[in-house]
Amino acid sequence: MGICLSHTSQAVSHTQRNFRRRIWVCVGEMKTRNKSLLAVLATLCVSALASCGSSTASELRGYRSPTPKNSAEVFVTDAATGRLMELRADDGELLIVYFGYTHCPDICPTTLVTVKNAKKHLGDNAAKIDLAMITVDPDRDTSDVLPRYLSSFTDKFHALVPSSQTELRTAEQAFDATSSVTVVDGKVEVVHGGTCYVIDSSGDVIDEFPFGMDAESMAHDLTVLLKERETQQ
Amino acid sequence: MRTTARRIIVSLLCVTSVAGLAACGGGSAASDNSSTSDSTNPTTPSIEITGQWARTSPMATDMGAAYLTVTSDTDDELLSAEVDMSVAMMTQIHETVMGDDGAMKMQEVDDIAVKAGIPTELKPGGYHVMLMQLKNPLETGTTISLTLTFAKAGKVTVEVPVQEEAP
Repeated sequence: MGICLSHTSQAVSHTQRNFRRRIWVCVGEMKTRNKSLLAVLATLCVSALASCGSSTASELRGYRSPTPKNSAEVFVTDAATGRLMELRADDGELLIVYFGYTHCPDICPTTLVTVKNAKKHLGDNAAKIDLAMITVDPDRDTSDVLPRYLSSFTDKFHALVPSSQTELRTAEQAFDATSSVTVVDGKVEVVHGGTCYVIDSSGDVIDEFPFGMDAESMAHDLTVLLKERETQQ
Repeated sequence: MRTTARRIIVSLLCVTSVAGLAACGGGSAASDNSSTSDSTNPTTPSIEITGQWARTSPMATDMGAAYLTVTSDTDDELLSAEVDMSVAMMTQIHETVMGDDGAMKMQEVDDIAVKAGIPTELKPGGYHVMLMQLKNPLETGTTISLTLTFAKAGKVTVEVPVQEEAP
């Protein structure tokens, strides 16, 4: 659900469009070419079938934008140190950035428990997965609240409490995320996204986990992404 | 005739491929572990609550959530949910909804329609019982007593285990 699901569906429809185009090209050429084309077509179609039967190891289950967003040189205050933290992973690691709030009973704990469980699948690689939760509700999620909340889910985290609205909005803009906190009839109403953004050491958003993605799928993607980075080094 | 034959083969191959692609698109079907009521008495509404659980509350928050599946042999409405004040000061039924911009928010709902014979799920990302102002953290391995009120079936009380994830 959320911003990311629509991205995912865009990605799917893009693939389907490509496939339809491939079929159309095949049919068009058959009208004029010799029968060797039939064999080519058969191979293409069979390979299309084969490739969809089981997702290959390197295929991501989250959403990777062809033009990744980047959060390098975007800074948010780290509650633990009081200093600004740049939104990018340490070398050789991945950083999951999540916008949420501690009074959220449904989306946030569901997502954070899933991240916790995904790390259980990773073995030693779990140590290479960092988590930065940026509260969208800094008035209530003060610097003593957010770290305690996150410690329920992982021992490797950054509790980021924006010191100003500008700081929060600048961080959100880096991910095309939005949030709002309003008081309606005396109740605090918070609107936020449910996406986990996976960032590498350059600050590129290399994968997005939409709300509802399961732990095994997250672990799969994180494993693929860590391997990719090892290969690149 | 040859051209026609080729076209038929081309069509068959393509149809097969498209069907194959379509088949692999649906990988996210939700599993449903609820069981349906098989009550045969038409005069007494039969409500079955299955898969109930409350989430272990993280530290530093006094908000909690409980989830369950309702199955009824008649059309009914879930009107409210209550826990003892020693558990939480306030209990409401909420729904997480997605706005036009993809952002999510929760809103209180007046009731949830329950269709006869169709399991109605309260699950993460959808309907949930919201436990507000928890008196104590909800700890894994404990249980809380939750009373649900239905328009026809009346009050139904279930013991809800506290755990990190759905059973």
